[in-house]
Amino acid sequence: MKTFLRIIGALIVVCLAALLAFIFVPVQRTAPTEELAADWTPEAGQGEYVMYASDCMACHTAEGGEPFAGGRSILSPMGTIWATNITPDKETGIGNWTLDDFRAALYDGLTPDGRHLYPAMPYENYRKLTEEDVRALYDYFMNEVPAVNNPVEATALSFPFNMRFGIRAWNWIALSDPAGSAYEQSTPQERGRYLVESAGHCGACHSPRNVFMGQDGLTADDANFLKGGEVDGWLAPALMGEGSAAATWPVGEIATYLATGRNSHSTANGEMSMVVEHSLQHLTDEDNLAIAAFLKGEDVGEATLLGTDLALEEAENDHPTTTMLTEAKDLSEGARLYLDNCNACHFVTGKGAPEIFPELAGNSLVTADQTGPLIGIILHGAEVPSTEKRPMRLVMQGYAERLTDEEVAEVASFLRTAWGNDAPAVTAADVAKVRAADSAH
Amino acid sequence: MTDLPGLPSRRSFLKATAAGAALSGLAVSAKARTAEPPVPLDQYQPEFFTPAEWTFVLAATARLIPSEGDGPGALEARVPVFIDREMMGGYGAAADWYMEGPHQPDADPFRGWQTPLTPAEVYRGAIPVFDAWCQQTHGGAFAELDAAKQDAALTALQKGEVALDPTLKDFFSILLQNTKEGYFADPMYGGNHGMQAWTFIGFPGARANFKEWVPRYNVEYPLGPVSIKGERA
Amino acid sequence: MARQEKKKDVVIVGLGWTGSIIGMELAQEGLEIVALERGHDQDTVPNFQYPQMIDELKYGVRLGMMQKPRQSTLTIRRNLEESALPYRSLGSFLPGNGVGGAGTHWNGLNWRPMLAEYKLRSHVEQNWGAGIIPEDMQLMDYPVTYEELEPHFARFERVAGISGNAGNINGQIIEGGNPFEAPRSSDYPMPAMPSTYDGAKFAEAAKSLGLHPFARPGGIASTSYVNEYGMQMGPCNHCGFCERYGCYQYSKSSPQTAILDALRKKPNFSYRTGAEVLRVEMAEDGKTATGVTYYDEAAQEEVFQPADLVILAAYQLHNVHLMLLSGIGQPYDPRTGQGVTGKNYAYQMNGGYTLFYENEVFNPFIGTGANGFSIDDYGIGQIDFGTEGFIGGSYISSGQSNGQPIRSMPLPAGTPAWGQGWKDGIKKWYGHSMSIGSHGSHMAYRNNYLDLDPTYKDRHGRPLMRMTFNWHDNEVRMTQFMREKIRPIAEALKPDSMQDAFKKQGQMYDVRPYQTTHNTGGAIMSETPDQGAVNKFSQAWDKHNVFVMGAGNFVQNTQYNPTGLVGGLAYHTAQAIRTQYLSNPRPLV
Repeated sequence: MKTFLRIIGALIVVCLAALLAFIFVPVQRTAPTEELAADWTPEAGQGEYVMYASDCMACHTAEGGEPFAGGRSILSPMGTIWATNITPDKETGIGNWTLDDFRAALYDGLTPDGRHLYPAMPYENYRKLTEEDVRALYDYFMNEVPAVNNPVEATALSFPFNMRFGIRAWNWIALSDPAGSAYEQSTPQERGRYLVESAGHCGACHSPRNVFMGQDGLTADDANFLKGGEVDGWLAPALMGEGSAAATWPVGEIATYLATGRNSHSTANGEMSMVVEHSLQHLTDEDNLAIAAFLKGEDVGEATLLGTDLALEEAENDHPTTTMLTEAKDLSEGARLYLDNCNACHFVTGKGAPEIFPELAGNSLVTADQTGPLIGIILHGAEVPSTEKRPMRLVMQGYAERLTDEEVAEVASFLRTAWGNDAPAVTAADVAKVRAADSAH
Repeated sequence: MTDLPGLPSRRSFLKATAAGAALSGLAVSAKARTAEPPVPLDQYQPEFFTPAEWTFVLAATARLIPSEGDGPGALEARVPVFIDREMMGGYGAAADWYMEGPHQPDADPFRGWQTPLTPAEVYRGAIPVFDAWCQQTHGGAFAELDAAKQDAALTALQKGEVALDPTLKDFFSILLQNTKEGYFADPMYGGNHGMQAWTFIGFPGARANFKEWVPRYNVEYPLGPVSIKGERA
Repeated sequence: MARQEKKKDVVIVGLGWTGSIIGMELAQEGLEIVALERGHDQDTVPNFQYPQMIDELKYGVRLGMMQKPRQSTLTIRRNLEESALPYRSLGSFLPGNGVGGAGTHWNGLNWRPMLAEYKLRSHVEQNWGAGIIPEDMQLMDYPVTYEELEPHFARFERVAGISGNAGNINGQIIEGGNPFEAPRSSDYPMPAMPSTYDGAKFAEAAKSLGLHPFARPGGIASTSYVNEYGMQMGPCNHCGFCERYGCYQYSKSSPQTAILDALRKKPNFSYRTGAEVLRVEMAEDGKTATGVTYYDEAAQEEVFQPADLVILAAYQLHNVHLMLLSGIGQPYDPRTGQGVTGKNYAYQMNGGYTLFYENEVFNPFIGTGANGFSIDDYGIGQIDFGTEGFIGGSYISSGQSNGQPIRSMPLPAGTPAWGQGWKDGIKKWYGHSMSIGSHGSHMAYRNNYLDLDPTYKDRHGRPLMRMTFNWHDNEVRMTQFMREKIRPIAEALKPDSMQDAFKKQGQMYDVRPYQTTHNTGGAIMSETPDQGAVNKFSQAWDKHNVFVMGAGNFVQNTQYNPTGLVGGLAYHTAQAIRTQYLSNPRPLV
């Protein structure tokens, strides 16, 4: 008994020591994955390009704020995370950071003083960046971004999420992959893989989350990689494999969507429209094609982005829904509401029109389990941002004023069963919830 | 129910208010969001028109688009409400128009609106003159006359046989124009109540998309109208 | 003392079609450009959005998208003896307002003039002799040729996104297109729109009479479309709300769908709204402009905007008004025939038949601004002027554009305008008629011109512009000829009844009913400085850094809707500025 107690006592001491060590012993930073010459300098524009590919702008620039001066709030279930100032300001930004400090943030989610970053910063993915890209990015932030003195509100999450050492435990699981893996980038598919798994951090939204809320799938070697996730109530659809858009769209169409937020089938909404605006439209056609080729598992071949000076015929179909809407007789409430409110652009075929009016037939947003985005778009509309190759800002107006909750539910439910779509109905209560949540914003 | 003094087509007016009340329920029942049914026309408090003017407008529009036969008359469509509201708005005040002098109100009509008066001022100025003409010619103010005499009086007004000051000469044309506007405009402006006028002629209102119908030659379009606010009829 | 803004390379007055085109072309040269638009900013959403745009009262009747006469108008008289009276409320023509200008609310009809129209005076003289030209007709040749303009027409059609079927590609006649059109280098960028029932009936009847119907070309998208700037259109749904409305569907060619979002991305281009230009300022020597003074609506003050290059890209009436106010070109005097600015104002001569069918339905609310079929068999190049006794021509069409009931309610003659008879009539006839219209040329005359009004002033204290205009016998003979030519087509269509409306001899200009917003001339282009205000590159003869865009350049009006020629001339001018003027600013002719 005594022995037993002693053993228990010893175990407690060991555990305490381990816990204290876990909390207080500095964590190791990952070393550079490649030794570059001390005088190595990035090519002109290389750092900015990595910045675009990494979409740093999306989080680190506040609405209407100076670029990268932080202050954007990122809502998480644990509380509000405030994106930091990453301009080279010495007082409020990262002006005092060394390259090693910078790399540690990207690879290990560590600040120079050893604190853990919240994994809203996708260091799970950024740790795959090559040393050259890390250096180029560092060079860009230190030398090309203007310093902005902008103190940002400190993130204050509720207990226990404010215990940052907890992230250390999380990191043991999440960061099991080695940093800066040596990527082959000689073929487009290899280049695409690198961009998707590292800078692009596509998995942050499009991979499911595991029980620890880490990305369930960090690389293409993982079974669930890019098999679809959920972000802020939105379905982030699967990007690879059966049923994914990549499986049905040609490489050129995928690349066009990435570069412009629109293609012959769909338009980008929600978070994705911001990714297009701040990141993907700035990539080269070759890189967007490479990403598309990787996602589809197919060579780029002759594929190109959709060009200009184009007339694109809209698709036809003879689905019973199409026939019913064309005849315009014996209409359900939802079908009648569709004709009165939606048909103008999306047409009786539910096929919309290439590059401008997205397809509703077979649209993952329409049939998603998460009905909030569909309802939200019916109520408040949607907007595709102006991009370099497609400068037109495309806007769908909202119907919050014109349609009641019951009517939105009717029309949404109609969409979810029309043209072969097969998803459960939406209720007026679902609509009321979205309407209330949005008006609370 | 308030008895409107001297409203000769009272029968049709009664029909109008009854139909109007019924229709106000009917028109919104197609839509889940129930709008407040409007006050019956005979209880409507005009914002612009004086009681005497209002009496005239009710009576005159009731002859311009009568209630008899198929389809709504001006009263069922609440055209007078529309005109009253228009008088209070930018149109009544000629807010968009160039109104600087000098004016030449007796110019050839081909030369357009040349009176110094706004449309609202033309109504205000012309109604008493026309009523007085009716009194003198037919023995009663317009609203007190029987339908045949009212029609005769309006015809005289239309033909320019009623001596109006040149500044008022466009009165009949704007009265008729505004009556038709109130009959066919979107119901949110107060007239075309329940989209009855649209239903009557087969205009689908604010639906405004017909791609699949272009090649369907000589086939009657089957759907009733929808309004800007989304009501259906 | 006016506030002064920082100097720009280019100031553009007005941000409609021509302002957007020239803005984009010169922005590509890297110039610092500012456009001044007197109206408000507007875009498809929210300004044209569904369902708010589908409001006949607000936009069709109260003219919500148009210029407000209180802000800007002109006076009109029919002859030199009459005193002009203000155009106090809009009727006969409807100038637009705001970003996009009339390019937002047009019908979309897009044409290139017929070959004979470029050198019309020569065409007449060579074939019939100058003797057939009426004494007061100031018939002129354009100083540009079709060959010079062809690439620019093609460019405009591609940028604007025009649907149509070519009838003549490089001289090869193509079935289904207009066989009488001038040879084009390429087809339209989109196939023609499908037609409604009326247009199809008309086409069949015309064909049976040996005529050559073709789908009417227009800036209405028949498919999805992406132009050279990556700007986009969506396929039209025939909503029936084109003219007087902005398109909620991204389907109508407009600066908004074709150019503006791309132009907004240019860092060297900016624009200011609520900025009404009051006058062009001149250098001491009077040979060049130094910029423009505008009224800043927000600040309620006058602002001087210096610039090296001044582009007048407002509507034709406003361009001419600014020229008269600023001393660009000598004002035209009809008594002496001297002077150039304000000369050769012209309009359009239209007419039409309405055919009634008790037992056929047309669903008139299904339509577009450029719907249906046309024939050009009686176009200006097909007519023997010597035999027929007039100079001119028309294209003839059928295709419903809207069934908006306040304004579009054709009733058989004799139907009362009100009362039981009217009410019965609308029930019986709404949707049971079709129309056939002729759209005809309008020549220039000594006494049809624009100058400054001696009496009336605008809100800034500037004299209003005065229009002197009336119909002439030549155009009436032309339109009566069309009446005779359409009748057999109408009769072949076997209506229950039909009626027509064509101008008659002696008929005076009536400013009240809408006729057309095809006001042309006043800043005409000419071979020599004594004949017109601008040279073939739309450059002011007497102020080489002022270019005047738009239909003011038309020497007389063509038989077509003017936008195609306006667009072609705009690209022609843009090319001249880019390739000839910028490197060496000077008179280009």
